[in-house]
Amino acid sequence: MPQSFGHIIKSAIHIAAQINRERATGLIEFEEKELENIFALLILGGFAGLPSPPPPIANELLPYMEKDLLMLLSRTDLAQDPIGVLAGMFEMG
Amino acid sequence: MNSTAFFLGKGGVGKTTLSSAFALTLARRGAKVLIASLDPAHNLGDALDISLNGKVKTVEPNLDALEVDLAYWVDKYLDDSRKQLKANYSYNVTLNLDSFFNILKYSPGTEEYAVLWAIEDIHCRLGPLYDVVVFDTPPTALSLRFLSLPTISGLWVKELSKLREKILAKRQTITRLNPESPVAASCVDKDDDKVYGQLNTIGARLRKLEQLFAKESFLSVIVNPDQLSVDEALRIQDELTKLDIPLSAVCVNKQGVSDMVWEQNPSLARYPQFVYDFSRGGISTRENLLTIGAGPIADHFLKIVQNPTTERKKK
Repeated sequence: MPQSFGHIIKSAIHIAAQINRERATGLIEFEEKELENIFALLILGGFAGLPSPPPPIANELLPYMEKDLLMLLSRTDLAQDPIGVLAGMFEMG
Repeated sequence: MNSTAFFLGKGGVGKTTLSSAFALTLARRGAKVLIASLDPAHNLGDALDISLNGKVKTVEPNLDALEVDLAYWVDKYLDDSRKQLKANYSYNVTLNLDSFFNILKYSPGTEEYAVLWAIEDIHCRLGPLYDVVVFDTPPTALSLRFLSLPTISGLWVKELSKLREKILAKRQTITRLNPESPVAASCVDKDDDKVYGQLNTIGARLRKLEQLFAKESFLSVIVNPDQLSVDEALRIQDELTKLDIPLSAVCVNKQGVSDMVWEQNPSLARYPQFVYDFSRGGISTRENLLTIGAGPIADHFLKIVQNPTTERKKK
């Protein structure tokens, strides 16, 4: 059954509002992901030679950091082109 | 009365002998005493004339003793972490876990932490069963490292907690502005975030140990009438001052071992001094320990324990 005109307008407004919300939070989300990445690097960096807390502290936090660990691994892909990520976010180029 | 005493000093100055004599003196006066050796090369059992291991053993009425098994504490700690990790992570992530933990066993700092966990266990689990707990410590380097660990690690935990709070605050903002964001599905509250909770737990444990070392313990440094042991005692004093851990007494052991003229360093002379003559016949039995004359230091310890605020202020 075809959707009513009112329903289409309602959906369009909802989508437009969501796009604006995504734009508004995009930069904060990027910052949050970077902070999470730094946090994971600080905890686990000791295993790769970066300054980090004493290994036993990292070890006590490790059981609760599966998500952060996976995030760290996925962020290594972006590490090749950080400027590109930022440019994409600001819709440059 | 419930207090803790640590005897520190250069290797070979007589830490085990004096701490055993101190513990035995208090026990013979009627206090219930536990003496624990933290030295990886234990000889507490030799001093007390009894075979000891990682479990508490009664030496005589009122005096129990144990030699902390550091290898056991390292294994126990790593095993607990391994189990926790396997329970929380998906199966494929933990496939090569054993080789990771085998490496961690030998990573720097693990042995010092093992000493801390042992002290924490003795203080929290066994401490309440005794009036006094006496620790015979390992030589200076390891002792200073475990005494400084709660402060240093505490700083790390504090900074990591701040960073985690920042992350959670950002997540809260994102969730408020855009409830459909994938971030909204993750933890946004401090109470729900397991990493933040774990940081708090570690922080609380470290603060408790920091408090034990700085506020609730009697620390005595032992020197011999020679320059080397005095130099090391001065380094201990410096480090303890940096960590805000007060020194309660200085013991001069093996007085008269040589004819050389010797004078106490002025920096150490300002602490209460307890002098013990060199025993030419040696200390071969438990009863010999009582001839050392640990009575005065035991009196001084009891005075501090019974009136901690006044005695610390005086210092």
